[in-house]
Amino acid sequence: MTASSLDKIRNIGITAHIDAGKTTTTERILYYTGVSHRIGEVHDGNTTTDYMDQERERGITITSAAVTCEWKDHRINIIDTPGHIDFNIEVNRSLRVLDGAVFIIEGVAGVQPQSETNWRLADRYNVPRIIFINKLDRTGADFYRAFDTLKEKLDIVALPLQLPIGIEDQFLGVVDLVEMKAIVWEGGELGAKFHDEEIPADLAEKAKEYRQTLLDTALSVDDAAMEEYFDKGDVSVETLKRCIKAGTISGAFRPVLCGTAFKNKGVQPLLDAVLDYLPSPVDVPGIAVAAEEGQEESDESERRRIKADPDAPFAGLAFKIINDKYGTLTFVRVYAGTLKSGDTVLNTTREGRERVGRMFQMHADKRAEIKEVSAGDIAAFVGLKDTGTGDTLASADDPVVLERMAFPVPVIDISVEPKTKDSVEKMTIGLQKLAGEDPSLRLKTDQESGQTILSGMGELHLEIIIDRLRREYGVEANIGAPQVAYRETISRPHTEIYTHKKQTGGSGQFAEVKIVFEPLERNGGVVFENQVVGGSVPREYIPAVEKGIKVQADTGVLAGFPTVDFKYTLVDGKYHDVDSSALAFEIAAKACFREGMKKASPIILEPIMDVEVTTPQDHVGDVVGDLNRRRGMIQTQDAAGSTIMVRAHVPLKEMFGYISDLRSMTKGRASFTMQFHHYDPVPRNIADEIMSRSA
Amino acid sequence: MQGPRLHWTRGRIEAGEGDTTLTREWVAYDDAGEPIARVVRILGPIHAGWRSYRAVALDDDARLIELRPSPPDGAGWLACVGGQVVGRAALPLQAVRRAEAALKETA
Repeated sequence: MTASSLDKIRNIGITAHIDAGKTTTTERILYYTGVSHRIGEVHDGNTTTDYMDQERERGITITSAAVTCEWKDHRINIIDTPGHIDFNIEVNRSLRVLDGAVFIIEGVAGVQPQSETNWRLADRYNVPRIIFINKLDRTGADFYRAFDTLKEKLDIVALPLQLPIGIEDQFLGVVDLVEMKAIVWEGGELGAKFHDEEIPADLAEKAKEYRQTLLDTALSVDDAAMEEYFDKGDVSVETLKRCIKAGTISGAFRPVLCGTAFKNKGVQPLLDAVLDYLPSPVDVPGIAVAAEEGQEESDESERRRIKADPDAPFAGLAFKIINDKYGTLTFVRVYAGTLKSGDTVLNTTREGRERVGRMFQMHADKRAEIKEVSAGDIAAFVGLKDTGTGDTLASADDPVVLERMAFPVPVIDISVEPKTKDSVEKMTIGLQKLAGEDPSLRLKTDQESGQTILSGMGELHLEIIIDRLRREYGVEANIGAPQVAYRETISRPHTEIYTHKKQTGGSGQFAEVKIVFEPLERNGGVVFENQVVGGSVPREYIPAVEKGIKVQADTGVLAGFPTVDFKYTLVDGKYHDVDSSALAFEIAAKACFREGMKKASPIILEPIMDVEVTTPQDHVGDVVGDLNRRRGMIQTQDAAGSTIMVRAHVPLKEMFGYISDLRSMTKGRASFTMQFHHYDPVPRNIADEIMSRSA
Repeated sequence: MQGPRLHWTRGRIEAGEGDTTLTREWVAYDDAGEPIARVVRILGPIHAGWRSYRAVALDDDARLIELRPSPPDGAGWLACVGGQVVGRAALPLQAVRRAEAALKETA
């Protein structure tokens, strides 16, 4: 691939809140670009990107799927991502490797919680994005209200490039503010036929007003364009598009388009916008290499960037792993260089070597073998033995480690055991493979009961995993009731001295540590500082102290939950020339933690969920009352057409089985979504209950 | 689209990120070539010595002047006619229109 053809590639993601129309939009894109010859529908269970059995049965996207299409002499690699928060890892890893994204916003509800979460993720990875306000054919749809929620909830400069012509069942097309024309879709041929016409008279004044806003905003990023404007009183379409692209890439503003994918209107201009405004691999500054020791993770400006260059040494990031009947497929985004099948690369994250067997371009669950990949490509490799999600593959000529990926912390646990004894090994292998594919899934063995504990992002996430275990690995399993993944922390500082001493006959053991334990803010993690001076604890024993605390912190002092958000500082200690050892210091550190934590006012934390209930107006009282009974804190109540959206923070513990209660309360007319928001201390009475249960 | 009646050109510039430049002001000249209006980028906060200025702008002679009271958030440009501030706006083209409107009123 040459640099000139690299600018004809777009690697984009399509992302949104659940049911906003991501998969529906992707289906239209595949149809209009000629990849598929029919339009699949989510409700019919025959879409291209939802290929898993569970996706088709449930009508939701579970795993991100990669597809490739051609539009106007450009290649667009698209990743369709799930909307449900339980599968947020898929959005996370997709945004990490994409150059741009289309955010789909529902035309009735506007920005919804999952859109907000994904937006923040895209902010983290600096992903340029355009917004598509969808479902304008729906009853209650309102482009301008949905547009206002972009500013209110995302706090962005949203810049309309289109205005709708008509609304709900009268929605006919869009006003293109860049070229100042109307685009109207004709009936039939699944939306493939449309034509340009004059802007309708009733929209002319509004279009003029919005075009001025477009010029004011877009031209402010390009002084040469400003000069053209001052010179001629307007700018050419090319100049305006150049400015919109520059502003989109820098994030100065976010272009907004609109339509209804389901009714086949607005998708072709969206594809044009992807080419015109989202960056090619050569338009972005390149991926940053990982922070070195002592360097701030957030400070990217000081770090080297890998530019998209097919002739540079190879650098790629493994972002997804799937196991199917043919073996393990590792999805790799190639940032630089060229690689042929059979070549060997370094896994610089794990410091190993990997030989790349075959390489494929993926089209959902179908694959086409390719012999070579180069900068800008997304492909799946077969034959990698020890490469996980987030690992860097690089050439020995330039063994870089690329910026790491961050994974969400699971909030819900279930115990799982096979129904028959002879399935134990099969279950272990199956769960290990599933956990290898999904970094938001954790597997552990309960030390006391010996049970296998599966931790995930929600009830649906774990339900799908158990279902996959049955279908793909043939293991029928019994599962326990879902348990909240509580955490423990401390609420005041405490200094503890502990001496571990066994010096009665034989080789003795001696270690003394003095550790200061201090609470940190939420999400502060576990921080260690060594302040020992004068060698009172020899340097070679410091890692043992760290290890002891780390191991012990997994089992908190109150109810055995992992202890988080605290700092421990080793300030002093004592050692014995003969009887001290790494083991003695590890034991001392563990005991010091157990004793010290008890005196540092330990508390139990519980996950608090951000819950959004969409309910008809006449049931809003019941919904709010019920959320209050569940210890919920109502945040907002917003009207959207004839429905009310109630947003509340509710402890996860109180949300198990909520869907059936909500359905019976509202005669099945309300729906809800929830996502993890933060950890909060549990009330005293509930803490006592949790502790007595764990005792 | 109605064209502007004045001859607006780029005024003072400063170095931006990398090889780019950042325009600090746009100056409007009349047909006789006399500068009659300016729109000026608001800068700040700026720390100079022991003092900190929340918002400053360049005056006609390119001296930094402190803006008091500080403009509200989102007001990134000042529209100036004859040394007087006649409006402020988030974007330079909006400020240009303020300046032109002020000139029209005084005409």
